[in-house]
Amino acid sequence: MTDVRAPETDPFDSAGTERDGRRPEGPVSPAAGTLGLTDWLKWAWRQLTSMRIALVLLFLLALGSVPGSMLPQQGSDPAGVAQYYTSHPALAPLLNHLGLFDVFGAPWFAAIYLLLFASLVGCVVPRTFRLAGSARTLPPRAPRNLARLPVSAEYAAALAPAGAVEVAARVLSGHGFRLRRPAEPDDAGTGSWLSAEKGYLREAGNLVFHLALLGVLVSVALGGLFGYKADRLLVQGTSFADTQSALDEFYPGRLVTAADLPPFTITLNSFDASYISSGPQRGQPSSFDAQVSYTASPGGPVRTDRIEVNRPLSVDGAKVYLIGHGYAPEFKVTDARGQVVYDGAQPFISGTTGNFLSEGVLKVSGAEPEQLGFSGVFVPTAVDIDGTLESVFPAADNPVVSLIAYAGNLGMNTGPSQSVYQMNTAGMKRLTPDPQLLLVGQSLKLPDGQGTITFTGYRQWVSLTITHDPGQLPALVCGMAALGGLLLSFLVRRRRVFVRARASQQGSTVQVGGLTRTDASGAFSEEFASLAAELRSAHQRAAQDQGAPPHVQAAPIRQEGE
Amino acid sequence: MSRALLLRAPALRAPALRAGRRTVVLAAAVSAGVLLIVGLAAGWASGGHSNVTYVDGSDSAVLYAAGHRPLAPDFSGTTLTGSRLSFSSYRGNVVVLNFWGSWCVPCREEASTLASVAALYRSSGVAFLGVDVRDTTASALAFTRSFGISYPSVTDPSSAITLDFTSVVPIAGTPTTLVIDRTGHIAGAVFGSATYPELTAILAKVTGKAAAEAVSR
Repeated sequence: MTDVRAPETDPFDSAGTERDGRRPEGPVSPAAGTLGLTDWLKWAWRQLTSMRIALVLLFLLALGSVPGSMLPQQGSDPAGVAQYYTSHPALAPLLNHLGLFDVFGAPWFAAIYLLLFASLVGCVVPRTFRLAGSARTLPPRAPRNLARLPVSAEYAAALAPAGAVEVAARVLSGHGFRLRRPAEPDDAGTGSWLSAEKGYLREAGNLVFHLALLGVLVSVALGGLFGYKADRLLVQGTSFADTQSALDEFYPGRLVTAADLPPFTITLNSFDASYISSGPQRGQPSSFDAQVSYTASPGGPVRTDRIEVNRPLSVDGAKVYLIGHGYAPEFKVTDARGQVVYDGAQPFISGTTGNFLSEGVLKVSGAEPEQLGFSGVFVPTAVDIDGTLESVFPAADNPVVSLIAYAGNLGMNTGPSQSVYQMNTAGMKRLTPDPQLLLVGQSLKLPDGQGTITFTGYRQWVSLTITHDPGQLPALVCGMAALGGLLLSFLVRRRRVFVRARASQQGSTVQVGGLTRTDASGAFSEEFASLAAELRSAHQRAAQDQGAPPHVQAAPIRQEGE
Repeated sequence: MSRALLLRAPALRAPALRAGRRTVVLAAAVSAGVLLIVGLAAGWASGGHSNVTYVDGSDSAVLYAAGHRPLAPDFSGTTLTGSRLSFSSYRGNVVVLNFWGSWCVPCREEASTLASVAALYRSSGVAFLGVDVRDTTASALAFTRSFGISYPSVTDPSSAITLDFTSVVPIAGTPTTLVIDRTGHIAGAVFGSATYPELTAILAKVTGKAAAEAVSR
């Protein structure tokens, strides 16, 4: 923010200096020992809104988020927290006491960001007012000796000083300069003068930048308070309603409840993933395309649409993104009593190894007399390489599952909720010493008449992320406005042109002087030179239009003047 | 940090205090206002329900005060055994509506409680009805066999029925059990695994019969 400070530290702006909230320390005050409570409060407020403290707070905020990514968080990974408790029984309660398992909800974290917010608001608001004031101020009076200015010109004109200034005023206001003329027509002994200033867009840009910065803050707060994010894995041919209990993960903003979720329902009709089938890019995805039908609310009209990567579905203020996909092998399981105890698709998750070699478990909790469990690997295009099953292509050209069967207690009757992708085999015995391979349609008979599992086919699944961020668009607009304002304030220079006309024998001596803050590129010198030339020719033209040769005009002027 | 150092800082800053007082005060006021609004909004959002009493000392089981009972939405669906079922046909009965799934550990925990309370209150005109959420029929039927659950369940693979009810009661997950009175209004709810004391306390209130009386009929 300091980069676009108002020009208060610049002699160019006479109004700014004493109104700066963030300037370096001044001299020691003689009244140091007599500070009252209000002075202390003001001092505290100044400290809080100082750039130094804002930077410290920003750094603390970054530092504070570190444990949030290093340690498992209660909100996003409760199982990880439980795991941490068992592996670090002494340390975990201490960390919990410090709120390190819920960093972003911890009071100390809230304190940091609220202080940062107050600091930024306390900085930006007064600056905004000052900038607004600075944008309204008139240019200062013309200095006495314009020749002392960085750029200046002097020439004679066959016009009276007042007339010369009048002509200059027309020229400069034609160039968009804001003018200031003396309250009285003439200053005794110094001739007529005129101050002109241009480049107020700089202040406007600065103002826009600061307001937009506030807007970004508010937008981010809006998103944090009223936005949410949710995830859902959806198997081909199934639907889900956007309600909390149907979501796999739900991360609501501070002021969002499950009741704020838009009541849409989405069905995944089909999913197509295309892969490059030859060349060095073989196996790389070329397109993903999820065909969905949806209703915006229960009983509403059914619409169809496609969701692709970076082409979300917009429904009722929420955006539904396609963020992943995989395979869900279908199984049919009968137990020892011959009852069908499972018949459906179970999503498997692909690991980091390529070509969608996917792992998963199937927990058949309803099997009697003992529960059954299977841990499996789904291989979309299976090839036996030296006795190891490998997937050589991500599409399901030759799907094979490899299963290890267990019987016993899945541990699902009491205790914490379980992941559907993990199985606790502590209470189970392994029925098949080696992984058993099944092609689609093949069955595996479990030993001792414990039952049968059939690999009946597979479906694809997609993982969807549902987001709603009311601050997104305002943040984008404000961000762009901030950038635009910043550019304006960098590119546009405040520049002043002064004109003084003193009576002389020919009519008047016109002095033109120019001043800008910095002119490293020399652009202002050029602008000034062309302005001065234009003024000069305008004066000549005006003198000729008066229809009298210069020397005729000279006499009356001399009478008026010095 | 020494006191001397602390004292020096304001002294260095003192001349700055005079200037821009108006804007400083204004900025402070704006910040305070923003914080106040955020605080009030947060407080308002987390405000409690005054028309609800908690059952059995737990905040997971609630009773809605008469006159503040939300009207249960009507629904119909297919049962696990393949027949059509309409909720409106239960009008006039007290209904215990249980959202469950065979995949859900707390559902398995509460299953035998539900089966026994259903048997207990059957003669008092209390009907039990399940809504089987995000499940496959084979697994769900295996579940009802395992726990001896004889009352019907409507399948809700897409959570559409759950969504309908979410508009009147805050169903955050599975299981959730709703007790619906004879006029079709939701009189009580258990969020999470239902226990025998919670369920019988709500039913005693709604039917006017304690568990002991119910069983004696």
